[in-house]
Amino acid sequence: MSRRVDVRPSVPDTAATFLEPLIANKRVIVCCGAGGVGKTTTAAAIGLAGASVGRRTLVLTIDPARRLAEAMGIPEAARTPSAVPRDRLTALGIPAKGELDAWMLSPEVVFETMVRRLAGDESKVQAILGNRLYQHLSRIVAGMQEYTAAEALYTLSSEGKYDLVVLDTPPSRNALAFLEAPKKLSMFLDERVIGVFLKKEGAFFRAAADLVERVFSRAFGEGFFAELQDFLGAFSGMFGGMRSHAEAVRSLLSSNDAAFVLVTSPEPAALAEAKFFQEKIQGLGLPFAGYVLNRSWAYTRGFLSPEDLPLADPTAEAKLAVRKLGQLADVEKWRAQRDRDLLARLRMETNAGSAIATPHLGGAVEDLTGLAELARNLVHLPDA
Amino acid sequence: MLKSLLPLRAVLVTGKGGVGKTTVAASLARYAAQAGKRVLVAEIGTEDATTSALADVLGLPALAGEPIEVAPNLRAVALQPSLGHQRFLRDVLPMKFLADAAMKAGAIRRFLAAAPTFPEMGVLYRLLDLVRMTRRDGSFEHELIIVDLPATGHALALAQIPASLLRIIPTGPIATAVREGLDLLEDTKRTGALIVTLPETLPVSEAIELARGIRENGIPLAHVVVNRVPFDPFDAREAVLVRELVAQPLSAPVLGARTLERIDRAKTALERLRLIDVPMTTLQDVWFEGPRLSEQVASLMMLEPGGVF
Repeated sequence: MSRRVDVRPSVPDTAATFLEPLIANKRVIVCCGAGGVGKTTTAAAIGLAGASVGRRTLVLTIDPARRLAEAMGIPEAARTPSAVPRDRLTALGIPAKGELDAWMLSPEVVFETMVRRLAGDESKVQAILGNRLYQHLSRIVAGMQEYTAAEALYTLSSEGKYDLVVLDTPPSRNALAFLEAPKKLSMFLDERVIGVFLKKEGAFFRAAADLVERVFSRAFGEGFFAELQDFLGAFSGMFGGMRSHAEAVRSLLSSNDAAFVLVTSPEPAALAEAKFFQEKIQGLGLPFAGYVLNRSWAYTRGFLSPEDLPLADPTAEAKLAVRKLGQLADVEKWRAQRDRDLLARLRMETNAGSAIATPHLGGAVEDLTGLAELARNLVHLPDA
Repeated sequence: MLKSLLPLRAVLVTGKGGVGKTTVAASLARYAAQAGKRVLVAEIGTEDATTSALADVLGLPALAGEPIEVAPNLRAVALQPSLGHQRFLRDVLPMKFLADAAMKAGAIRRFLAAAPTFPEMGVLYRLLDLVRMTRRDGSFEHELIIVDLPATGHALALAQIPASLLRIIPTGPIATAVREGLDLLEDTKRTGALIVTLPETLPVSEAIELARGIRENGIPLAHVVVNRVPFDPFDAREAVLVRELVAQPLSAPVLGARTLERIDRAKTALERLRLIDVPMTTLQDVWFEGPRLSEQVASLMMLEPGGVF
């Protein structure tokens, strides 16, 4: 990919960015934001920065651009996280103790792992995995990503293999589903809900279950209710464990060990969502750390104007072409001013002025070198 | 051309987040309404949603579960799963009060809201409900429904649900309703998916993958809209001149060069998109926000060769 345009580094040589202490100390960094703002890429760059300060780092991603996945060496649908090869890390100047793993979450794998751990004995595991409902539910993507992202985050951040887990949240309209997933899971697993479907003794329960069964049989066809009961019955032993996971995720994310970073682009729609999300994060009592204004055009200091360029052959045609380039330059100046204003506004909206901008690198970041370049705009990295 | 979408009953607008999907959906709705269709533009909503991208683009404070008037011939609605569930239960249960009682029963309501795929099924049912709705004269209340699908990494999730549900629940009224939904979604005469993308490397790769996925799911792909295409002011000779100019060894980067690169990337991107082989519309970068933006883009659609005017 051509990068003829040299982009000024956004991080001054001396000042540390708000991200540096997070990358050095936190256990979990959650990247949130609207879709299409470069969240996955930013999460990967933060992960790379984590490895470069010597931490064992995992980037948990939901839907990486395929080429980014290839560059990082993440196979699709792997059962466990994969390590970025050591020689590639060394080439980027990452110290020996720094590790970078990446995993593209697969709802099926996460769910099955959870079932195996919580179900206890093998016959129960088989009963659940063999249930027709389970087989389909765990495969249907909608809604399951959020459950499994929370579950994977809990497991991987608590097993001690990683110092830092960077989570790229599922891209949903308000990117809120992930935060609500543990609560929703608890709600679904509430015995008062589930209890209606379980086979129970007692006249009252039987009467209630009869009504529910009548409704369900009419709606879903004969036989479905019995199947649902079997499914929930097989699952019921695990509800306690699942609920305690959901609560543990919530308390981890509310703790000082976690930090939420909002990624946004300068587009008005992405900004509006970021603003809304900031309020939501703070409203939920979660530790909001700051903004990354991605793909900004803010840095134009020292750039030349087209009129300043030496013209070898100043024909009328060449002069016209330069004037047209000048119009494009004017638009870029306008964009730069808009992005600088934005950055100033975002800094005012955070407690400690915690907002930084990354430059528009042109095209897509699609290899480790590109990621390292982006990371250098987030924190100070050792030179390769 | 976009005009060929007008005879359809449902246009499903899809694409990755950040490509301007909602703006294109709203603009297309305005365009179709101005072309004389009774149009309903819809987004997937939940009861507790506090923001709505579609409402913002249309200049409304919020959307509701029932259609609201936006402009002549144009209404907007949030497809709420619970409304779909309620309509569904009313359709399948013998008595209305039983359906309402069932919805009031905390257990059932919470089960439908929390169990994976049931919300999506509610949305599908609500969509069918609105598609079927007729006026007294027998004509359709909403001749064209434009659905702004959620910006998920798996934009196909909603498309896969009917088939998945049929595997879980092969018989009964739900299965019947789902089959009807599937018939609608797979009918080239009534439904078309529209992919929105940007003229940049990764969005185009994703659009090509999405197109393949949509076709594999049996949903007819009708159109691709390339949003925010940069204006290229140079003729062939000037194009060479300016590129030579910025490529010479210089002490610092040149203002305008980044836009030149963007123009080059857009050209490559548009070439690659032709691989999808469906009608394609390009929309130029316009500098408006909020409701002005969708009005502006709608008028760009009118100006398209073969457009309405």
